[in-house]
Amino acid sequence: MIRALLFCFFLTQLLFGYSYDDLVLKAQSSIFPKIMLLDKEIKNKLVNNKIIYTIVYDEDDYQTALHVEEDINTAFKGHFDKYPYEITLVNFSHLSPTIKTSALYVLKSSKENIKKAANIARQKGIVSFSYDVNNLQYGLLFSLHIEKSTLLYLNKEYISMKKIDFVDLLLQMVKFVEKNGAVV
Amino acid sequence: MKKGKFESLSFKIMSSIVITSIIIIIGIFLAFEKINKKAFYNVEVQKATLILKTIEPVVAIDIYLDMQSKIRLLLKQLIQNKDILSIKILKDGATLYVVKSKNKSESLFIVKKDISQPNSQKKMATIELNYSNHNYKQLIKKYNKLLVVMLIIMLIIFILLSLYIDKLLKPLKQIARVLKGFSPEKKIQMEPIKQNNEISLIVSALNEMQKKICDFTNKQKDINIFLEEEVNKKTKELQAQLFKDDLTQLPNRKKLFNDIEHSKHDAALLILNIDDFKEINDFYGQNAGDYVLVEFTKRLLHFFEEEKNISLSRLSGDEFSLFFEHKPSHRTFMKVVNRLTKEIEKMVFEYEQSEIYIRVTFGGTMDTDEMLEKADIALKLAKEQKKYFLLYDAKLDVKRQYKENMEWVKKIKSAIKEERIIPFFQPIFDAKTQEPVSYECLIRLIDTDGSVVSPFKFLTIAQKSKLYPQLTKIMIEKSCQYFQHRETTFSVNLSINDILDVDMVAYIQKNVKKYGVNNKIVFEILETEGIDNYEEVSSFILSMKRLGCKISIDDFGSGYSNFEHILKLDIDYIKIDGSLIKHLDTDVNVQIVVETIVSFAKKLNLIIIAEFVHNQAVFEKVKSLDIERIQGFYLGEPEKEILEN
Repeated sequence: MIRALLFCFFLTQLLFGYSYDDLVLKAQSSIFPKIMLLDKEIKNKLVNNKIIYTIVYDEDDYQTALHVEEDINTAFKGHFDKYPYEITLVNFSHLSPTIKTSALYVLKSSKENIKKAANIARQKGIVSFSYDVNNLQYGLLFSLHIEKSTLLYLNKEYISMKKIDFVDLLLQMVKFVEKNGAVV
Repeated sequence: MKKGKFESLSFKIMSSIVITSIIIIIGIFLAFEKINKKAFYNVEVQKATLILKTIEPVVAIDIYLDMQSKIRLLLKQLIQNKDILSIKILKDGATLYVVKSKNKSESLFIVKKDISQPNSQKKMATIELNYSNHNYKQLIKKYNKLLVVMLIIMLIIFILLSLYIDKLLKPLKQIARVLKGFSPEKKIQMEPIKQNNEISLIVSALNEMQKKICDFTNKQKDINIFLEEEVNKKTKELQAQLFKDDLTQLPNRKKLFNDIEHSKHDAALLILNIDDFKEINDFYGQNAGDYVLVEFTKRLLHFFEEEKNISLSRLSGDEFSLFFEHKPSHRTFMKVVNRLTKEIEKMVFEYEQSEIYIRVTFGGTMDTDEMLEKADIALKLAKEQKKYFLLYDAKLDVKRQYKENMEWVKKIKSAIKEERIIPFFQPIFDAKTQEPVSYECLIRLIDTDGSVVSPFKFLTIAQKSKLYPQLTKIMIEKSCQYFQHRETTFSVNLSINDILDVDMVAYIQKNVKKYGVNNKIVFEILETEGIDNYEEVSSFILSMKRLGCKISIDDFGSGYSNFEHILKLDIDYIKIDGSLIKHLDTDVNVQIVVETIVSFAKKLNLIIIAEFVHNQAVFEKVKSLDIERIQGFYLGEPEKEILEN
């Protein structure tokens, strides 16, 4: 029995671990909210004077979403800088343009779901973060990857977005991703 | 270096330039040192600050996003800069990151900058940059090197400048050297300078000046020679005049002094004086006098023509000297005197149809000390003694007397000036009552030590020195003044000369009136002097008696008293001479004479006064002769003040 439980645990861990890098998740949990605050238009994106940080997940990634929420809460403890925040977990199936949020953090999903989330974010003029760098080619804005050092990736299309205005320095330190997914 | 070098113009110019330049350089150096070092420092500070400013936003966003690897990479890159010693990022006092350089340079300063959150100005951390002095030192080193180069260049410029100035002024030194050898007699050759500058002008001016000086010197030399000749000529003339008498052309008194001085104590001197020469001048006129003197000189010169030992001089108007250069024997000396006397007696001087004869008196000395004085004394004595010649003899002792007389004259003059001539008053007593009825005012000189000097010591000298009238005047005024307010008579002595002196008589009258003593004063006229001018004396007595004064004949019986003439004088008193009274008690002859005088006086109703009553015996004798008034030490001595009841 014990052997069976240990096997299940390792299997789950193997599956989960295969899908998401815990280190990356932690890094993204601590950096993405800060990048969101580098948007000069952040004030206009408050919902009831709060920042709503929405984590969009597939059904299978619910645990990962919770894990991310926990990491964020551990890192920021209720406030992104001077703004109070609220983390909402939204399944791709429940994601609609009416959603009231300040930013989207998109976990792995199908191409269509990713595009859907990217469109909603673009329509609402909010910042969207992607766990997977490759998903930036479908319209998401930011991503982060850990190689020799931590690298930030930004969808080049962002430049044409009117409602988002990052501090210039941020643009100096990111790597731009072309529409076809090529890194510049 | 020689002292002259320091004083040279080139040295002074150069040293002035150098000193001024050094001051300026030091000033500039100090200013530059301060400004530049500060500027260099500021540049480094600005550089460090700029670095911090540049990296701060990047570091800020890296810290913000917690991208530590990026921060380390950035710091690693920064530390490659040689000027940065270390970089620290501090947060709340704790060091977040620190990178240190291997560079061994010293720290110049540390700059700090706050790191703010990118989307707000909230402070996140502090970046601290320790900046090395490497670059700063390099700059200072370069700067100092530049300064040293500048100084060396300036030093070279100064050396070249001094050489140039020295070269410029060199001709002046040459001129000075040449001029040192200049003298009006020796013309110097100054080479003309080709350049047309100030030095060539100086050379040209000096050549011109030299020419003028030489011309002037030559003229001056001629003038000096001429003047020297003239001065020598005039000196000789003056020397001749100095020792020569103008009228007779004989050597003068000065020459005689000179001869005596060089006589070596082996000489003799004879002075001759023309008797009564003044009469010749007065009678025949000055020209006749001069003629006689000139002719007399000629004849004397002729007389001594062959006498080489004798030189003739004219001492004063009518006085000549014969100087024997070598002392002759007494016999020869007398022989010369006698021969000359006889020769002069024969001399007749014809002047405008008049024949003038002269007589001379000789005074001589064979004593070589103070020859002129001694010969002069001998001459005066010969004149006094009416002798034609007298040889000076020490026994005469006249020299001392002369000296004493001269001292007395001085004493009298000073006593007059200092009012030390005063009257003393000797009482004259009534023989019966023995009370003082009158006082005789007797002259006294108070010496400088306060002692009282009797008149016999100075009156004769006063008469000789013509000071006597002054003494009489003093006595008149002081006596009249003294008795002005006293109810007693007093007598004052007058000499015949006083009476004959019109001014004196006027003075006496004035004072008698002034002090109102006309009824108190008695004038005692000295009979001893011999009254010759009875008419004048009588006139004086008359005028005085008109004023109410009384007259007395003093020292009556001492001279050759002319009773007849005395009778004619309207006198009131007769004072019998003291020399008679003195021996009255012992000498019978004197008693007879005094009795005669008393008898004579009584008949004329004259009051008789006996003076010099010096003892009891004389006093008794005087009284027995019925003499009314008595005066003498026995009864009362002369005193400064009279005793008043």
